[in-house]
Amino acid sequence: MDSSNDDALDIIITNVVATFRTRCHLNLRTIALEGTNVIYKPEVGKVLMKLRKPKITASIWSSGKIICTGATSEDEAKLGARRLARVLQKLGFKVRFSAFKVVNVLAVCSMPFAIRLIDFTKKNRPIASYEPELHPAVTYRIKHLKATIQVFSTGSITVTDNSNKDPKAKCRI
Amino acid sequence: MLTNTGPVAKLYLSIIDDVIENMRELFSDEGLEDRVLDDLRHLWESKMMQSKAMEDFRKNSINSSNFVLQLPASYSQTDQEVTASVVIPASQSIYSFPRLKNNSDTLATFSLPAGLAYPVQIPAGVTLQTASGQLYKVNVPVVVTQAAAGQQPVSRPTQKVTEWREPAAPRPAAVAPNTTHPQEVEPSSAPAPSVTQPPQPNTNYVPPTEESSLPQQPQDPAADTLLLQGADSPEPEFRLEESEPSPQPEPMNLSMTASPCGQSLDFQTGTEETLTQTAPLKSRDVDDILKQVIEEEREKAERARSLTSAKTDSPSEAVLGLDLDYSYSELSDIVQLDGPAGNSDLEEEEGAPLDENDFLGIINAEAIKALQEGDGSSDGNSISSSSDGEGADELANVEDEDPLNSGDDVIEQDIPDLFDTDNVIVCQYDKIHRSKNRWKFHLKDGVMCYGGRDYVFSKAVGEAEW
Repeated sequence: MDSSNDDALDIIITNVVATFRTRCHLNLRTIALEGTNVIYKPEVGKVLMKLRKPKITASIWSSGKIICTGATSEDEAKLGARRLARVLQKLGFKVRFSAFKVVNVLAVCSMPFAIRLIDFTKKNRPIASYEPELHPAVTYRIKHLKATIQVFSTGSITVTDNSNKDPKAKCRI
Repeated sequence: MLTNTGPVAKLYLSIIDDVIENMRELFSDEGLEDRVLDDLRHLWESKMMQSKAMEDFRKNSINSSNFVLQLPASYSQTDQEVTASVVIPASQSIYSFPRLKNNSDTLATFSLPAGLAYPVQIPAGVTLQTASGQLYKVNVPVVVTQAAAGQQPVSRPTQKVTEWREPAAPRPAAVAPNTTHPQEVEPSSAPAPSVTQPPQPNTNYVPPTEESSLPQQPQDPAADTLLLQGADSPEPEFRLEESEPSPQPEPMNLSMTASPCGQSLDFQTGTEETLTQTAPLKSRDVDDILKQVIEEEREKAERARSLTSAKTDSPSEAVLGLDLDYSYSELSDIVQLDGPAGNSDLEEEEGAPLDENDFLGIINAEAIKALQEGDGSSDGNSISSSSDGEGADELANVEDEDPLNSGDDVIEQDIPDLFDTDNVIVCQYDKIHRSKNRWKFHLKDGVMCYGGRDYVFSKAVGEAEW
């Protein structure tokens, strides 16, 4: 009721967001013209570059900060980020791969049962918050792990987390 | 699909007309003769035709097939690659030699279907027979182009190995040259092939009996090179002379013209000696030529510009021939006649339109193809020199994740360097939309080169998946 006791739950990481820095200024226009698979968004001031191999979309800013999204695991995120840096290097920029940090990991898992959100919220009063008008799920924040869990009435749960590897542990709780 | 080609041809010709007319005054101001301008125009048109980027607008006047091809028994061994490449450029080429080969081992006779679009390439070792019964054996790959009716053949110098120049094909009306040796043009109103040799005087109509003697002649300096030039009957004196044979052996595409009148040209391409020397090259060069031919059309404007600049060098008529030579050599520099048709050419061309059309949205059909096929396109081969170096941010306490190891450790971007397509669209965009990996394009006012052919559109809608 309150939490799933089932250990054999499937929890799948669907998205890993990571950032890194190239420590050099990037000329977005050059990247946009000569890079492959790029989308230039001058109004925002960034270039999106999509990689196929690790399926990754990276937002590249001219300051050299790059946000890398869409990976399915942290390792993949790192690999993709390095590949990306390699591409930029080939384009002629003096990139240095630094400050790689996984910012967010999103995982989903699904309970085999439905959940009564209101009771759930009442039981977990300080930790859980529920605003049905805003969002149809209960938001359950675990402070010491910095994780956020969203519990839907269908039994699906999404876990977003800043620290590594914890989402899996989180779900087990 | 082919209904496009008419308007495209017209459009291009009108462009040529416009440019030439506007340049006329400039040219005369520079002190160049009008002849130079006309030469430029011929060159331009001939290249356009040669590039086969569009249908020969005169192809409508092609009458029924003039040729019956007889494949020699040994055909199967020769030029397998050439046959493959043969089919490509001929825009409507319906025949394919491998098919023929299967039919009969020995003599296979094959009629070119009516309405076949010229130019047509015929691989070596084929015996051609015109409708009137004239036989000629082709020992080298041949390009059969069509000449307009009523073209007078210009003088035919004694043959030799001459360089095949792609640009060489003379006007759209006219045609092509031939190579070597013993070729004979019948004095009738056959189209005007003329091959120029630097040292050779232009002798007319070498009689067939001299064919045997001719083969010996080609041993001269021109040696391995085939020089093909086309001249035009409208300007009988007009002759492009190739002063220097290029040091590298040039491909040996012969082009023969079939006049719509059905005039026959006797081609006895003899001279095995010189031919055999170039024979090994032709298969390689044919492919190169084809690639160049496809690219020709795109370079027209640039070539015209380069030509005009080249022609301002020497106004004198005597030097004019040399000028054209220089321009040819420039052209040949632009167009790779041998060696791999590298990416550099392609990117150079695409670079130019990028510069010109900065303000336009340029959709590279390569990317579109890549989208459709789900392959990554080639990585940026041209490394931009605009590397923004680091500032003074030499942080001593850089995190240890820094070393990229210059790619040794870091995985090379495994770009499936796809097929470097030549399909390009240059246009403006109305709207480009993307959802996840589905793209939708609304384009306008564009020119595209697809499959070697040019198309022009005022509106285009496309969808692709990445």
